[in-house]
Amino acid sequence: MNEKTMRKAKFGAFLSRASVPMMFIIICALCIPIAGLSPNYLVNEIVTRMGRNSFLILSLLIPIMAGMGLNFGMTLGAMAGEIGLILVSDWQIVGIPGMVLAMIISVPISILLGLFCGKILNMAKGREMITSYIISYFINGVYQLVVLYLMGSVIPIKHGSIKLPRGYGIRNTVSLLNMRQHLDNLIPLNIKGVKVPVATFIVIAVLCLVIVWFRRTKLGQDMRAVGQDMEVARDAGINVERTRIISIIISTVLAGIGMVIYLQNMGNIATYSAHSQIGMFCIAALLVGGASVDKASIGNVFLGVILFHLMFIVAPRAGAYITGDSMIGEYFRVFVSYAVITIALVMYETNKRRVKSMEGERLRLDQEKEGKDE
Amino acid sequence: MNNKKKLSVRSLIVRIVALAAVIALAVILAVIGRGHTVYFDNKKLDADGTSYDPFYKVEVFVNDKSVAKLSEGDRGMVPVMGQDFKMVLHITPKKGSKKVGSAVSMKLPYNIDGIVLNLPALLSGAAEDVYMDEFIPTPTAEEETEDVVITDEFALPSDE
Amino acid sequence: MNETKNKEKSWLRNLVESFGLPRLIITAFLLILLILAPFVGADLPTQISNIIARFSWNGILVLAMVPMVHSGCGLNFGLPLGIISGLLGATLSIEFGFTGAMSFVMAIVIATPFALIFGTGYGWLLNKIKGGEMMIATYVGFSSVSLMCMMWLILPYKSPNMVWGLAGKGLRTTISLEGYYSQVLANILRIKIGNLVIPTGTLLFFALLAAAIWAFLHTKTGTAMTAVGSNPVFARAAGINVDRIRLLSVVMSTWLAAIGILVYEQGFGFVQLYMAPFYMALPAVSAILIGGASVNKATIMNVIIGTILFQGIVTMTPTVMNNMIHMDMSEVIRIIASNGMILYALTRKTEGSK
Repeated sequence: MNEKTMRKAKFGAFLSRASVPMMFIIICALCIPIAGLSPNYLVNEIVTRMGRNSFLILSLLIPIMAGMGLNFGMTLGAMAGEIGLILVSDWQIVGIPGMVLAMIISVPISILLGLFCGKILNMAKGREMITSYIISYFINGVYQLVVLYLMGSVIPIKHGSIKLPRGYGIRNTVSLLNMRQHLDNLIPLNIKGVKVPVATFIVIAVLCLVIVWFRRTKLGQDMRAVGQDMEVARDAGINVERTRIISIIISTVLAGIGMVIYLQNMGNIATYSAHSQIGMFCIAALLVGGASVDKASIGNVFLGVILFHLMFIVAPRAGAYITGDSMIGEYFRVFVSYAVITIALVMYETNKRRVKSMEGERLRLDQEKEGKDE
Repeated sequence: MNNKKKLSVRSLIVRIVALAAVIALAVILAVIGRGHTVYFDNKKLDADGTSYDPFYKVEVFVNDKSVAKLSEGDRGMVPVMGQDFKMVLHITPKKGSKKVGSAVSMKLPYNIDGIVLNLPALLSGAAEDVYMDEFIPTPTAEEETEDVVITDEFALPSDE
Repeated sequence: MNETKNKEKSWLRNLVESFGLPRLIITAFLLILLILAPFVGADLPTQISNIIARFSWNGILVLAMVPMVHSGCGLNFGLPLGIISGLLGATLSIEFGFTGAMSFVMAIVIATPFALIFGTGYGWLLNKIKGGEMMIATYVGFSSVSLMCMMWLILPYKSPNMVWGLAGKGLRTTISLEGYYSQVLANILRIKIGNLVIPTGTLLFFALLAAAIWAFLHTKTGTAMTAVGSNPVFARAAGINVDRIRLLSVVMSTWLAAIGILVYEQGFGFVQLYMAPFYMALPAVSAILIGGASVNKATIMNVIIGTILFQGIVTMTPTVMNNMIHMDMSEVIRIIASNGMILYALTRKTEGSK
């Protein structure tokens, strides 16, 4: 009897976890034939986008493990990556060395920003998500201060192709033509017309392995303990605050590196807007892959990238076909991104409350029992 | 306690070494990754009283790839990485004459982005400051007026 | 001994503690701007008129924060939902052919049922997720804005003043209110002394609503709302239906936001659709926080002070900065200051919430 209810509960949990991916599979299945895109084109796009986005999305996993929810502060890392790339393209360091150098430059900036973000989040326990979300706006202001006013006036910028004509500040777009897709094309592979960015996938695979390994280290175990219950972890002698800060720093650093990979694929930086949406899209993709606010795996990342971007590609075409207006599809995919995040957040909060009330109930029963025993 | 202190000294050394290694890597990357744009001129050049005449046709190969086919008075370009620059030239000096192959390797100056090479001067063995020149881009007029659009979700709708 | 020491605590420190350091800095900054303005060649009466005008446009949107903060639902990042109700009211009122002051009244009348329906749904949702209100509110706002983006295109609006001229369907991104309710409130009893202009009507309308909210908070239901916000456990023990009170507060906030956007539009002169509501929650949130509110405490005074300070900085910085150093850093300053303010509020320890 008990086992049966357990199984039922497990099945229910699976169903609720699988519901978002299922919904997306249905949306995609409906839209693909309407959109009328060739399978070759679709596969090509998906493979490209997997290479472009996976690293960024993987950067979200570690704070989730530490119980800090979806790290909207990954935007901070993205900004650090952009600063690295801007400097490198001014110094005219090109190709793979340029990319690696940009990553190296982004790391200390990411660490500083991550430290700041982690400290603030420690002051706002229980509201990590909204706080990290506001931090991303706050730092966006600082980023604009640096890029728009300090670069060229305090930080030397030499090239007129990057600098604004007024003498300081960076142009709206910075071309990365001389490192565009250099990583993707490092090991060229073409399977039946589908271009596979092998080197990028290798980098992503390495990161996956590192994450798997990291989970088993002492620090990784500590993080999971903190994620489960901060008080218990503290009693067990874990420095909770420090562990949480480290998890955010790691996430920020990875996001910075991921942004460099993302932008080398795009081939140019939209200086003032590239980072602003990236957090939202990465989080939406992760959630579409079946992750929740407190549980996410590497599998969720890849399933999410495929499903989310499939929707992203087919929705505008399908929308245009049905309504005769291409804007509908554009708005539709934005709506879906937001709706997915909303649904995931609601499910997480209701679950949390249910677990809490269940625990409370059990505690009450236990106490009653004890009372009777006496 | 003592043990712990020793460990921290050791880890400090490890960290410093790691940091130094990363910085060294960064420096190496900055050197080997320096990109240049090399321009080839197949143009007449007069310098120090000597005059270098252009070839009838030149084809430039860099990394076994043909990057430019130049007739008289043409300019070609190739983006390259690093300072060691090698190219192979297939030269047809006069109309109807036979193609001559010639391999050139040279060091590019680190601090110049765009380098113009005058091929006739280069191949007749002129001094470096004769055949080499810096390319200075002239900004086009429309580029001069670029407005910066700041966007964040905080922006107030355009006032007035 | 100890007590006297406490008393002797410098008044400055007391001020800092009661007023909050960031708020003090912002106030000082605004004062400096006001003092500098005449020296750098900006006309002070014009500037002050600007501040008052912008206060009158935004006041009610900021006021919409109050009920939800009082009931412990936190800052209403879901403001766009209420704004959408207002936009529906505005567009439908024009579609039905109302003009002049009547179009304003009808916009409010039509917006109200939408606000009630949306607010109820929103409040019901927030009751299911107590403790995570702010994040979910943000995304409820975003989702509803992007949903409505599609709706503005699809809904069968016909009025030639609103739809795209060429296609003959789909609403425009901005709709001029000329001939409708542009400035209808502001023109009532408008005072003009030299360059100083005061839109008395709009201010009175704000005062009316603010007084109504103030009075409401002193009724039995109002005090119950405060009780729910400050100590839900105690409130429940006292026999208050917590969920119902919270729902009421959310509906009120949503309705105020709907009215707020209509008042904003009458001042601004345009209806802005599509992505525009997206950007409206954060300035309102930041304004009330600058005024001295915290995540679970807000008064009408906070609304007034906050809106004046926020709009003051928004209007003054560009003028003064531009005239002084010929470098317009006002956007950046605004972004940093307003988000910094929200961050400051989020990191304060709050009792009783959750």
